Amino acid sequence: MKKLLALCLMAFTTSAIADYIFVVPQKPGGGTSQWAQIVATQLEPFLGEKIVIKNIPGARDIPGFNEWHNEMRNDDKIIMISHGGNGIAFLQENVDYDYAEYDSIGLMNLNIIAGKRIGDEMSPVKFASGSGKVPEAYAITLLLCGPGLTMNEYLACFKENVVWVNGMSGGERRLAFKRGELNGTRENPASYKKHVASDENAELWFHHGILQADGSHADDLNYPGFQLEILFEERWGVAPSGEFYDAYKLAKSFRDGLQKALWVNKGNTNTFTLRNALHEMSMDPDAMKAIQKKVGKYEWMIGEDGNAQVDTLMTFITPRALINLIHFNKDALGLASVYKESLFE
Amino acid sequence: MITALLLGTLYGLIIGIIPAAGATTGLVILFGFLSYFTDPYLGVIFCMATVAASTTGDTYTGVLLGIPGANSSAATMVDGHPLAKQGKATYALTAAITTSTVNGLLWGTLTFALLPWYMKLMMVFGVPELWAFTMLALGCVGFVSNRFWVRSIIAIIVGTLLGMIGVDPVTNADRWTFGWDYLADGIQLVAMCAGLFAIPEIINGLKEGEATTQPHDTSGQTWDGVKATWKYKWDALRGGAIGAAVGFLPGIGGGVADWMGYGATVAANPDEEFGKGNIRGVIGPEGTNNAQKATSMIPTVLFGIPGASFAAVLLGLFMYFGFELGTIDLAYDTKFFDSLTYGFMWGTVLVAIICIVLNKYICKISYVPYKYYFPLLIGFIIWACTRYTGGWEDYAILGCTSALGLFCRKYKYSRPAMLMAFILATKVETLTIQMTTLYTIETLMTRPIFIILMIMIIGLFTFSIRKNKLEYA
Repeated sequence: MKKLLALCLMAFTTSAIADYIFVVPQKPGGGTSQWAQIVATQLEPFLGEKIVIKNIPGARDIPGFNEWHNEMRNDDKIIMISHGGNGIAFLQENVDYDYAEYDSIGLMNLNIIAGKRIGDEMSPVKFASGSGKVPEAYAITLLLCGPGLTMNEYLACFKENVVWVNGMSGGERRLAFKRGELNGTRENPASYKKHVASDENAELWFHHGILQADGSHADDLNYPGFQLEILFEERWGVAPSGEFYDAYKLAKSFRDGLQKALWVNKGNTNTFTLRNALHEMSMDPDAMKAIQKKVGKYEWMIGEDGNAQVDTLMTFITPRALINLIHFNKDALGLASVYKESLFE
Repeated sequence: MITALLLGTLYGLIIGIIPAAGATTGLVILFGFLSYFTDPYLGVIFCMATVAASTTGDTYTGVLLGIPGANSSAATMVDGHPLAKQGKATYALTAAITTSTVNGLLWGTLTFALLPWYMKLMMVFGVPELWAFTMLALGCVGFVSNRFWVRSIIAIIVGTLLGMIGVDPVTNADRWTFGWDYLADGIQLVAMCAGLFAIPEIINGLKEGEATTQPHDTSGQTWDGVKATWKYKWDALRGGAIGAAVGFLPGIGGGVADWMGYGATVAANPDEEFGKGNIRGVIGPEGTNNAQKATSMIPTVLFGIPGASFAAVLLGLFMYFGFELGTIDLAYDTKFFDSLTYGFMWGTVLVAIICIVLNKYICKISYVPYKYYFPLLIGFIIWACTRYTGGWEDYAILGCTSALGLFCRKYKYSRPAMLMAFILATKVETLTIQMTTLYTIETLMTRPIFIILMIMIIGLFTFSIRKNKLEYA
C-alpha cells in the first residue's frame, strides 16, 4: 500500500515538473500514443527538457484535438500530436481545429500500403471499412472501374465489385485477412512489413505514393512500381484524372501527408527551439532507428517544410472535390460525413 | 522484471486479504497507475502476479473472518471458518494455499505453455465461429452463472444497451450520446467494472467487515495442512479439473467453479459431515480458483472474450498497454506470452512461499478492522476511474455505474452478465454485421465448428429454460 501511495505522490510530482506536454488525442496504448512516446523519449536529450504525454481520449480522436485548439494552444509548452485520421476528419466532420492556424514543428509524410491474397480473383474485393480507409475505397474503385466514369457510375461500380465490411478493428482486420475472409487489406509501412509481407499467402497490391511539394505523388522507393497511378495507367492505358480522382487525391493527401505531426499555435515562442531540437534528432541515426521501427523508414518534414506541406494540402480542397468526397462517403461507404462550407471561408 | 513480479505479488496478496476486495477490484485500481508501467511487458507481469496472489490471499478472509474476500473464497468459508473457530486456522489456510498453488501450477503450465499453440485456433475460428462463441459466452453468463435467469436476461439487455453507447460502427457517427461528447467514446470499462463490482463490494464490506473475530493460536499446523492436501489429493485434483473446465467457458466467474468444486467434494464423500470444519470442504473448492484463473486466460487471450470478471478488467488493462487480445498481432509476440506465464506462475509460487513462511503475520493483517481499508480502497478506485479525462464527467459516470451496481447487488440482477454484455455488445454487433456481409446461410452451413457452437447455444438455452421452469414450479 505504501508503494501505491508513493506512486500516487509521483503522479503529482511528475506533472508538476513537466517542461513540455505532448497532447495525444487518444487513449494510451493507441498507435499514435506509442509513436508520441517514442518521439518524446528520443527528443528529450536534444530539447534538454522533460516531455510528458497527456492523453485526451474521445471518439475518433477528435475531442482531444478540439480541446487543445480551444483551451490549450496558447500555452507555449503544450504541443499537439495528430495523425492521419485527424486529417481526414478535418475534411468531412464538424471539428473545431484548423491546421491553417498552427505552425508545424515537424511531420512525417507517410504512405499506406495495400496487400492482397495471392491467387484470389478479387471478384468481389472484400475489404475492411472505416473512415480511415476512404482513400483505399477510392483507389480500389479506380483500379477496378477504369477511367471516364461519372461519380454515380463510380459509385455503382464500387457497390457491385466491393464488399465493404464494417466494424473491424485493426487486429480483427489482420486476422480476417490472414484467414482469407478478406482478400485485401492495408497497413502502414512497418505494419505491412510485419503482417502482410511476411505472409506467404499475401502480396503487394498497391500504394498511394508520397506527396511532393508540387502537389504530385511520387512512387515509393520501398515499393517501386506499385503506386496507384502507375498501376492504373498500366491497366487502362491512360493516367487517372477527373472528379473522382481529385476527390481521391484530397482524401489520401490529408491522411498520409499528415500521418504523424507536431503542432503549436502560430506565434509560439518555443517554435524555433522545438524545430531545432527535432532537426538535431532527425540527424541522429539511433533516434531515427527507434522511430522508424514503429512507422517505417520515412523522412521528417521539419519547420517551414511542414508548413509548406499544409499549404500544398489546402490546394486540394476545392468545392467540387469536397462535394464528391462527401457524396461517395455517404452513398457508397455509408459514413455520416458532412459537407463543410466553412473550409472555403 | 523481478521487481514487477514481487510488487505485483505483494499488491495482489494485500488486495486478496482485504475483505470484500479481490482480483477484480485490485485490477481496477491499477488503471490509476498505468503511466508508471513504462515497459508494457512489466505491466503484464505485474497484473498476472496480482491475479495469482489475490486469489490465494482471498482465502484468508474467508477462513479467518468468515467473509468472502471475493467470490472465490465463499465456498471455502463454509468449512474453513469453522476450522478457524476451532483454533485450526493455519491448518485450513496451509491446506487451502497448497491446494490452490498445486492446481495453479498444474493448470497454469498447461494453459500458458500451450497458449502460443492454441493461437493456431484463431486461424480456424472465423467470423461466424467468433460470433457463435460470443453468443455462447452471453448464454453461459446469463443462464449458468445465475439462477435468476429472467433477471439475467434483463441484465444482459441493460449491459448491451450501455455497451452500444458511443460510435455507430457503420456510419461512424455518434450514437445515443444525447449530444454529450464525453459519451461518444462510450462508457469506459474501468468505470463500469468499478461501479458494478468494486464499489458495491467495498461498501458491503464496510458492513460485514465489522464482524472481526479474535486471532487464534495457530502455531504448529503448517505441516498438517500440507499433509492434508496430499491425503485428499483426489479432492484437490477434482477441484482443479472443475475449475479448469469452468474457466475455459467464457463468462463464468470464480464463484460458480468454487461452489461446483465444493458440491463435487460433498457428493463424492457422502459419509462425511460438511459445514462444521471438514478439511476436505476447504481443499475441494480451493482446488478450483487458481486453475480457473489460469484457464480463463484462454478465451480472453485467444478471442478477446473475457473468461471471467477479472479477465474483463485485464482485457482493458492490456489494451492500454498496447496488447489487443484476440488478434493476430499477439501471435508473433512471444515476449507477451512469456510475461503472462512468468507473472502467473512465479506469482503463484511466490505468494505460496510468502503465505506459508509469514502466515502468522499475514493473519494479523486480516484482523485490522475494515474501516481502515475502506477509505483507502474507495480513494484508489475513484482515482483510477477519474484518470480518463479527470473532469466532472468521470465522477458522474462512476456515480451512475455505482448506483447501478448497488441496485443490481441488492435485487440480484446478475452483475457478471451485465458486465459481460457491456463488453461484448460492440463485438456482437460488429461480428453480426461482418457475418451477414461475408456469409450466407449456405456458406455458414458448411462450417462444422459454427454448427457445433450453435447446437451448444440452443442446448444451453433449452436446458436452462426447462430447468428453471421446474425450479420455479
